[in-house]
Amino acid sequence: MSTPILKVSHLHFSYGNQKVLDDVSLSLEQGEFLGIVGPNGSGKSTLMKMILGLMPSQHGEIDLFGSSIAHFKERSRIGYVSQKANSFNLGFPATVREVVASGLAGKLGLFRRYKKSDWQRVDEVIEQVELSHFANRNIGKLSGGQQQRAFIARALVGSPDLLILDEPTVGVDAKSTTQFYELVRFLHQNQGLSVIMVTHDIGVISSYVDRVACLNKRLFFHGEAAEFQRRQKEILSAAYDYDIQLVEHHHH
Amino acid sequence: MIQDFLQNDYLQHALYAGLLIGLISPLIGVYLVVRRLSLIADALSHVTLAGVAAGLFIQKKLNLFTEINPIYMGMGFSVMGSLFVDRLRRMYQSYSEIAIPIIMSGGVGLGVVLISASGGFNVNISGYLFGSILAVRTEDLETTLIVTSITLLVLILFRKELFALSFDEENAVLTGVNRSIVHFFFILVVALVIASSIQVVGILLVSSLITIPVATALQHTNSFRQTLIASILYGELSVILGLAAAYHFELASGGAIVLVSIMILLCVFLIKKVVYLTARLQKNRQRINS
Ligand SMILES: Nc1ncnc2c1ncn2[C@@H]1O[C@H](COP(=O)(O)OP(=O)(O)OP(=O)(O)O)[C@@H](O)[C@H]1O
Ligand SMILES: [Mg+2]
Repeated sequence: MSTPILKVSHLHFSYGNQKVLDDVSLSLEQGEFLGIVGPNGSGKSTLMKMILGLMPSQHGEIDLFGSSIAHFKERSRIGYVSQKANSFNLGFPATVREVVASGLAGKLGLFRRYKKSDWQRVDEVIEQVELSHFANRNIGKLSGGQQQRAFIARALVGSPDLLILDEPTVGVDAKSTTQFYELVRFLHQNQGLSVIMVTHDIGVISSYVDRVACLNKRLFFHGEAAEFQRRQKEILSAAYDYDIQLVEHHHH
Repeated sequence: MIQDFLQNDYLQHALYAGLLIGLISPLIGVYLVVRRLSLIADALSHVTLAGVAAGLFIQKKLNLFTEINPIYMGMGFSVMGSLFVDRLRRMYQSYSEIAIPIIMSGGVGLGVVLISASGGFNVNISGYLFGSILAVRTEDLETTLIVTSITLLVLILFRKELFALSFDEENAVLTGVNRSIVHFFFILVVALVIASSIQVVGILLVSSLITIPVATALQHTNSFRQTLIASILYGELSVILGLAAAYHFELASGGAIVLVSIMILLCVFLIKKVVYLTARLQKNRQRINS
């Protein structure tokens, strides 16, 4: 395999004196689909934010596309859908098209207007996420699942190489969730997109992703989806009961 | 009446100044309202008052800059105030609205102290408080024109960045939008627009032309583009009708403009209601028929 597009080595992070990430190392190969699972508060979103450069790394290294995160400038190579993406102001006067186009703002740079080809690209990704019918609808008047697809489209419009999805299917019904995973799988398989997806859907995740990472402060597993599925029970009980075990140890 | 507006110099100045302010106030207003920052306009207008008072104070006590309109001092204060609001907002991230009362009361406090320290002014402060559009001179009009040009330039140049930052700041920054540059110019423009609209509507009413036309537009618009256009239309309509009413009935112009804009808001609301009700009636009738 070639050099990974993302390499996290020995990463530590604390909020104040609360340790959130403890010696986390993982990597993502070109074209890989990685699922990240772990209980609430296990540091998944924090890890994503550090990879995106939203939080300064305190200890450890993050390399993106072969360069250290401190020197990484090609922001538009990464598309991101945040866990809080659909907690925007619902009354915001903007159509799906306008919101999706805003994903190009940074890539185009200052003093450049959207050109015809940019709008064509916008319509193309809107079609990809099957929202063409709603393109000129107000974003606040879409259902939660539709909004989520609009945010995926915004993340995709700049043709990123890496897509980072933080719990993209929260509050989305089972059918839409499946559709959503199919869409991500399609993008991954047909466009060679590398994907990191944080999710609580442990049951279905391993049938979509290539590899799984199981996180709770530290990494409890990082390997092939098949192996994760095989050892699921053992891994999860270790990761999800981590704190409980610690408490028990104190009693001894 | 149209004749009067065409022939009379001071009426013409008033109309032009009003139309310029009616264009740029709602424009910046859209960006302020959607980011829930509409109260910033009030805070900055009060800071402008402090600046005007400082200007008058220097003129009276130190006998300096007597040729310069104190509103420029007000503009300077407004710009500084806007940068300060920004700093405070970042300091209190989860209570960012707290910056507004701090700045606002600071502005009033400073203004009042300066006014009392200089033992009152022989100029009419109420002109600043309630607007004095009929006293717009050629040089004021020129200043307003310059402010309008700067505003339009900034809003057009940074249009896509301003939209992206307003809708989702975190994501915009992540995709590489330069928040600090865009924000700096925007906040600068806000301060300038507020200071220059004081002559038209007065310090106490400045936020009206920034928020009311936008509030009216938001009732029926779908897209951001429509919202920008409709807000400008409602702003200009308020200025034209308000000025005409002020002239015809000899009313205070600032107040008349604000009242007209509120009336437009209510009309749009009523129209919306009527349209909604007729649509429902029709639906009901169809159901009964079928
Ligand atoms: N801004 C913050 N300041 C202080 N502590 C924080 C902050 N954000 C998160 N934390 C803490 O860090 C820990 C990890 O949070 P994080 O959001 O990374 O978890 P997560 O794995 O994404 O959880 P979830 O599954 O609920 O989304 C939590 O214990 C949380 O309380
Ligand atoms: Mg999270």
